[in-house]
Amino acid sequence: MGKPTGFKEYERKTEPYRDPVVRIVDFNEIYTAHDETHLKTQGARCMDCGVPFCQSGNGCPVNNLIPEWNDLVYNGRWRDALDRLHSTNNFPEFTGRVCPAPCEGACVLGITSPAVTIKNIEAAIIDRGFDEGWVTPKPTADSTGKKIAVIGSGPCGLAAAEQLNTAGHKVTVYERADRLGGLLMYGIPNMKLDKHIVERRIQLMRDAGVEFIVNADVGKDIDPAKLVADNDAVLLATGATLARDLPIPGRDAKGIHLAMEFLTANTKSLLDSGLEDGAYISAKDKTVIVIGGGDTGADCIGTSLRHGCKSLVNFELLPKPPAERAANNPWPLWPRIYRVDYAHAEAAAQYGDDPRVYSIMSKEFLKDADGNLTGVVTVNVDENIKEIPGSEKTWEADLILLSMGFLQPEHYINKALGMDIDERGNFRATKQDYRTSVPKVYAAADCRRGQDLVVRAINEGREAAREIDRDLMGNTELP
Amino acid sequence: MDFNEVNEPCDISEVQPASEIVKIFCTGAMSYGSISAESHETLAIAMNRIGGKSNTGEGGEDPLRFEPLPNGDSKRSAIKQVASGRFGVTIWYLANADELQIKIVQGAKPGEGGELPGGKVDKTIAAIRYSTPGVGLISPPPHHDIYSIEDIAQLIHDLKNSNPSARISVKLGSEIGVGTIAAGVTKAKADHLVIAGHDGGTGASPLTSIKHAGLPWELGIAETHQTLVKNNLRSRVVLQTDGQIKTGRDVAMALLLGAEEIGFATAPLVTLGCIMMRKCHLNTCPVGIATQDPELRKKFSGSPEYVVNYFFMVAEELRLIMAKLGIRTIKEMVGRVDLLKTRDAINHWKARGLDFSNILMPAEIVYEDTQVYQTIKQDHGLDKALDNYLIAQSQPALLRGEKVRIEHDIININRVVGTMLSHEVAKATHGKLLPDDTIHVKLTGSAGQSLGAWLARGITLEVEGDCNDFVGKGLSGGKIIVYPPKSSSFKSEENVLIGNVVMYGATSGESYFRGIAAERFCVRNSGANAVVEGVGDHGCEYMTGGRVVILGNTGRNFGAGMSGGIAYVWDQGGNFARMCNTETFELETVEVTADIDELRTLIEKHQKYTGSKVAEHILANWKTELARFVKVMPTDYKRVLNEMSAAKVATAAVGS
Repeated sequence: MGKPTGFKEYERKTEPYRDPVVRIVDFNEIYTAHDETHLKTQGARCMDCGVPFCQSGNGCPVNNLIPEWNDLVYNGRWRDALDRLHSTNNFPEFTGRVCPAPCEGACVLGITSPAVTIKNIEAAIIDRGFDEGWVTPKPTADSTGKKIAVIGSGPCGLAAAEQLNTAGHKVTVYERADRLGGLLMYGIPNMKLDKHIVERRIQLMRDAGVEFIVNADVGKDIDPAKLVADNDAVLLATGATLARDLPIPGRDAKGIHLAMEFLTANTKSLLDSGLEDGAYISAKDKTVIVIGGGDTGADCIGTSLRHGCKSLVNFELLPKPPAERAANNPWPLWPRIYRVDYAHAEAAAQYGDDPRVYSIMSKEFLKDADGNLTGVVTVNVDENIKEIPGSEKTWEADLILLSMGFLQPEHYINKALGMDIDERGNFRATKQDYRTSVPKVYAAADCRRGQDLVVRAINEGREAAREIDRDLMGNTELP
Repeated sequence: MDFNEVNEPCDISEVQPASEIVKIFCTGAMSYGSISAESHETLAIAMNRIGGKSNTGEGGEDPLRFEPLPNGDSKRSAIKQVASGRFGVTIWYLANADELQIKIVQGAKPGEGGELPGGKVDKTIAAIRYSTPGVGLISPPPHHDIYSIEDIAQLIHDLKNSNPSARISVKLGSEIGVGTIAAGVTKAKADHLVIAGHDGGTGASPLTSIKHAGLPWELGIAETHQTLVKNNLRSRVVLQTDGQIKTGRDVAMALLLGAEEIGFATAPLVTLGCIMMRKCHLNTCPVGIATQDPELRKKFSGSPEYVVNYFFMVAEELRLIMAKLGIRTIKEMVGRVDLLKTRDAINHWKARGLDFSNILMPAEIVYEDTQVYQTIKQDHGLDKALDNYLIAQSQPALLRGEKVRIEHDIININRVVGTMLSHEVAKATHGKLLPDDTIHVKLTGSAGQSLGAWLARGITLEVEGDCNDFVGKGLSGGKIIVYPPKSSSFKSEENVLIGNVVMYGATSGESYFRGIAAERFCVRNSGANAVVEGVGDHGCEYMTGGRVVILGNTGRNFGAGMSGGIAYVWDQGGNFARMCNTETFELETVEVTADIDELRTLIEKHQKYTGSKVAEHILANWKTELARFVKVMPTDYKRVLNEMSAAKVATAAVGS
């Protein structure tokens, strides 16, 4: 807590982003440099609660020791803070940037005052660690001679691989894309998470002895059964990559894309050629509508703005959330409140208005004779998603991006292995042992539980690694 | 432990209604000071609404809270605690109680007193506690008037006199042997006993105590109940237990083990927004409960309904259990250990060494017709008190405020003289009390213990003779004059006139003793003036207010922990400094005119009331003798006085 009265003396102030008008002309990160004196006072706001909800079930899924490192930052002990942070979180540089911070929603201070800026502090600790050269490949235990294959190099796969590697196992990570990182690489755009940061971490893991194989689509390029036979354990960390589509009339119109098609191509082109190769879906001078009001929708807005779209609207099916917590949404639950994400601020700066439209349902896509998209017909809905008669409206659009979430994992590995899936189409495994119905095969994170946060994926990767280690060795020292 | 469901269950509709059950619930003794006014008052309102009892804790209570609110609610705490610090224990405070609770220990920290850090002692709290703002308050581990079981019997009797309609409770901690102590306290005429478990009171306890002191309430209540039943004492007292009791199941366990009332503290606070920050000692509670910070207090969001709801839910859960056990009323449930059993499901190697048979042993009945819960009232013997006569004689004063003079003989079986009369004065005047000397009682002889305890303003007790211990305990504005028989030939200043623990916890009033007082004179005096001709050891210990003039020698350890008030000591021999425990004060000479005037006035009064030869000598040689006076000035008190005069100067400057 540093200072017992800190929360009374200092106000919550998050680190500012770069000026929206300036930042939308490039794909560089939106963040500004950390100011240590500022973070020190923010760390002083932590109350060192008797029951720190920030690190409890409602707060941080990896149980980050938040009050401890807040105190260490306040006292200028950055190195110790880094060690405390790494003890629970393999990749704080990712979560410090992209996590929606349920910890801040559960922060006890949040009952009466704005919460502590936990996420800023986390990012500052790890960035400082890299700047100082404190972050080095994790030492490993003596080799156990066990071989483990991890399928998928998203946050879960990476976390599991790192944990298993430190336990002394030989780990190979298989990635179907041409670059490692899963959604960290191609799902989250560069301005939110710079791809060098992802690569930097993967290089550290490589240096620690983890083997990575890209362009290796297990179930298509590689026979999963052989992988199971050749390894002592196989962890499926493939994510919930099947996106929710919008099968309404006119869906076949040219100009309607799933968010991931749009974002993946953009990042790949950006990294391959600085968008010179043109191998991406451009929103330049387009009338863009993004359907789906989540984080991915915001990323689509941010990317479209950077392309130079003509106009931009974002549809959200649900009503506008309240400014303050509603009665049925008390602390320490995740606050379902109206928020302005980076992309919304950018759109507002560009067009003078927040791009979001609430309580709206798309009925039909319109296309011209050539099959090109020309617009979309919508209807307003009430809070129970009941259509309001007479509220139909036609919107002009020549690019529509669908970011309505993900349903389940793609179903080819499980079929090849004859593995059970649950009623929601996820790979069946429990959070206790992560075992699937196929011996030696484990499943964790989004492919097991459905789409969720990066930080939950890290949590499940760590836990699955622990359970695999336990099964292989009889006991485990992994956390 | 589990319930032994051997009886035919009954329908829940046959079980005592929740609205009656909640009346056995009390809230914990968390003082105003440890928690904010908002939370303290909310608890009181809630408990008054359901007919339960809230507890002041040891920090006194603002008299404004005794008045009902326009909407019918009341912020008055039914239980008024009397702890070793005696903070704010005045006759009007005592008169506004349904229960007076002598706190011997806190379950979580037996052997230690309550602690209130200086940061939480703001002006209001200091005023209510009669202490010095900014100075931390540590209640002394012992009550200075209890050193034996006879002493506690005396204090129970004193308190009963101070408010005959209140039941007297003694709070004990769960410890090995508490049953024996409880039996003794019951014989000492307590009406009510609390057995506090070690899990309670955690917010304000040092970690070492939380971890290592005390025992679970289950052990204490079982032992107490069994001992009291065996000795046929159980029917005379109500038994209460507390210490992290939170659910209907906990309550059921406590009742079956022998309790009939239940205390709660943590859980009601949680309903008011407590988030168990464990910052109760830092004054930084962010939800406005355990803090006095005005900014943080604004964040308090609790409401009495939450507490009421909580207690009703606990009662409903208890009713479900009662129905399952086939029990219809609380009384039937008390001490029914046959309805408890150790849980079969626990099969752990650590559990193998546990033997619950002593806890689950039904209380043995030795005497015929032994009752297992409270059925008869204690006989406090108030009908024999001299005060009945004094009250009868004082009717003109009580009814019309007329002056009354009473003369009577006194012998040492006349204890607590003037206290019931003070209670009547407080009631008759609604706490305003009477002008000085309205009722003048002249007593001749040897007074019993506790003469003039909590003596109210308007009453003067003049004793020609001598007195026992506890004279003027808790003095509440009254005046006490004691001098040896006029016919005696010894030198009064060389002889002991009054006993131990005189003026303990006095809050206002004055007293003049022509002779020497024994040990612990004016301990915890927080506002009364006293003149005496010599004191024994530990004089003016923990004093926080008032003026003490000592025209003679003092014993050792003078002024230990003294943080307020001033003592003037006539240091003829020049050896006073050696007798002092100077940790908290400085010794000065008497130089300032205001001080000199104050001192002279007190000595003049002493001379006038008692005919003191010493006073006469000093006044006759004022110039020389004044130089021999030492002023005992607590450093914190000096700081506060300076701040106050600076503030006055500042306001005056603004005004001009």
